Amino acid sequence: MIAAILRAQFIAMRRTFGTGIALSLLGGVFWYGLWSFAALAAFSYMASAPAARLDTSLPLLLAGVCLYWQLMPVVSASMGSSLDLRKLLAYPLPHARLFFVEILLRLASGLEMILVLAGAAAGLAMNPGTHGSAGMACAFAVFVLFNLLLASGVRSLLERLLTRRKVRELLVLITAALWVLPRFILLTGIRSRMSDRVLGAALAACLPWSAAAHAALGQVGTFAWPWLALWTLAAAWFGRMQFERSLRYDAAAAQASPAESPGRAAFADLCYRMPSRILPDPVGAIVEKELRTLARSPVFRNLFFMGFTFGLLVWLPMVIGRTGVGAHRDSFLATHFLTIVSLYALTLLGQVTYWNCLAFDRSAAAFWFVMPQPISAVVVAKNIASQAPVYLEIAVLAGISSALRLLTGWGEVVEALAVVGTCSLYMLAMGNITSIEYPRGLNPDRASQGGSAGRFQLLVLVFYPLAILPAALAFLARYAFSSETVFAVVLALAAAMGAIIYKLTLGSAAASAIDRREAILQALGTGEGPVVS
Amino acid sequence: MSPPAILVSGLEKRYGAKAAVDGLDLAVPRGSFFGFLGPNGAGKSTTIRILTGLIPFDRGSVEVLGFRLPGQELAIKGRIGLVPDESLLFDRLTGAEYLEFVGRMYGMGRSIAIERARGLLDLFELPAGRKMIAEYSKGMRKRVAMAASLIHHPELFLMDEPFEGVDAVGARLMKDILLHQVARGATVFLTSHVLEVVERLCDRVAIINQGKIAVAGTVDELRAGGESLEDTFVRVVGGSREPWEAHQGLEWL
Repeated sequence: MIAAILRAQFIAMRRTFGTGIALSLLGGVFWYGLWSFAALAAFSYMASAPAARLDTSLPLLLAGVCLYWQLMPVVSASMGSSLDLRKLLAYPLPHARLFFVEILLRLASGLEMILVLAGAAAGLAMNPGTHGSAGMACAFAVFVLFNLLLASGVRSLLERLLTRRKVRELLVLITAALWVLPRFILLTGIRSRMSDRVLGAALAACLPWSAAAHAALGQVGTFAWPWLALWTLAAAWFGRMQFERSLRYDAAAAQASPAESPGRAAFADLCYRMPSRILPDPVGAIVEKELRTLARSPVFRNLFFMGFTFGLLVWLPMVIGRTGVGAHRDSFLATHFLTIVSLYALTLLGQVTYWNCLAFDRSAAAFWFVMPQPISAVVVAKNIASQAPVYLEIAVLAGISSALRLLTGWGEVVEALAVVGTCSLYMLAMGNITSIEYPRGLNPDRASQGGSAGRFQLLVLVFYPLAILPAALAFLARYAFSSETVFAVVLALAAAMGAIIYKLTLGSAAASAIDRREAILQALGTGEGPVVS
Repeated sequence: MSPPAILVSGLEKRYGAKAAVDGLDLAVPRGSFFGFLGPNGAGKSTTIRILTGLIPFDRGSVEVLGFRLPGQELAIKGRIGLVPDESLLFDRLTGAEYLEFVGRMYGMGRSIAIERARGLLDLFELPAGRKMIAEYSKGMRKRVAMAASLIHHPELFLMDEPFEGVDAVGARLMKDILLHQVARGATVFLTSHVLEVVERLCDRVAIINQGKIAVAGTVDELRAGGESLEDTFVRVVGGSREPWEAHQGLEWL
């Protein structure tokens, strides 16, 4: 049965990847190459560290591994592959076997951590101060199992919670806060006051990473094995219980449209119709439709929410530093805080808007090819619609920055708007090409789903620096000439160049869309296998 | 004299070595109710997708309402109403929003589009509230697709299994509307596996098998000799098949 599921998935994946497999492989090599380097560093450290330091550093490493494994898929809004239970529940499959496949899939979403753990384990085995033994290998293996079981439970729980209205936004905020909390503590003055207590608590012998570390180091006096076994059993119970609950969960009922007050509905309608008052049809009609679609998509709403919450939580500690607001006002980060956080929001939203602009249409993208309108109008309208939330984010961020006294005047708001506008032209230009060349349908309900197709993640890594480069040159010119005028002129030139590139790529993307329409529709409408990612 | 609604000659569409449409010749007179029949995988949906400009073809010539494909796609698209096999519906819009949007995409002013959308929602008994299309049943999705195909008063309807999943009341309504459209001079080109429906509604029928037209004519011509349309269909596309009991290795069935 398991073999049948995996085979069906393999066949589905093979057909989905198609010609983009080389790019996917290249991206995989790049990503896992980076983690191999981290594994090598872990190996090197563990092989040479004195035994006394290992008592602290190994539990910390394992705590970091656990944190990454459990939270990274959540904050990156991509929780990896999972069984599509809607397709499998019709068959007489024992739940225990389905759970086993689910656990195997969690292995796939934590491969980076397996690499790091393997590096650390090999290093420990080579360390003359420790005894490489079957017990050590067993401790690492049990710790991996604990993480797999916990990840399965966390995923099932979050998947269900994220389908509930209002809960998902709160959940994203809490998760983002949890993720940046250690960074916040490290970068702010809280560290000096709390570090010892926090570190002490984090390294308590009863915690799973400490227990695993002590078991690996052969320190049986700390009840390492009983603690580790207890945690693993608890994770198994949690994972299985959450999986069973997911099997019984009715997502459709949770997502059903609630009754909306007439006043609120009328106000929302007024907002959606605003672009149509300025823009002529068909562009106005498509922008209006896109805004309605985006606002009602859990995936988009999560990313929009993360844009200013996670964005602030990441960047704010760096500005506040250890000595509070105002102490670092002269740093580049502080003087350009709004611009940087706005650019972050622009890149974050790009996952589900301009990099893959047909994503939410899925098979309905055929609509654009049967309507008596040029496809370039559709692309332009989708680009405009993708920018509206970005400027809303900037408005929210400007308000928060102002409240935190991080803004000195309107000049910073204008600068943020101008820089984001300029960078947007380049990103939209590149996005129009990737949307046509690498389309991928996205389920707007699956809030845990990543936005970008795996195969062009690598392209995005290349495109972002390229898109930001012209604006960066303007900042460089300001620094070199100490002149606001020079900055404005260079930025204006960058914007003009961006507009030309946008115009050229728009024509090219529209022509390519017509030529590739069959392949595009096939890619967007392709059904997935028994495992969804 | 106005050209046929659809004129196809020597049409070919290949997927690798397999020909989905293989030298298809077809003429659909204006004002006719045309049934396009065939077994699964015969090339019906591919033909409709070619006629709507969704997919290119390899060889042959295609004219729709006197406009050539490729080259005059926009003129054709503005004059056809489409109910495809795969939904063209945007799930995150309500029925009213979708119909208004479609109207505006066909070049209507917003107020006219809203007015027509309201009328069609009422006619097809679709929810006028905040319920999104994603929450519609299969039959409701077909109804809203049908309503969208009507909003711009098209000259030609291309319909792939329009009654599939629709309840008897909805199907009756849709049939009555289509008959009315033909009476006003529009052409309906539909595929259906329900031969009784085709027999009752259509005045002309073509049966496609393995990408080629196997037989075409008026319904009466195809029923000549006392055969029903189903008898003719089975004879043309599946008559040579053995009964299932004769298949080797299926004794367990």
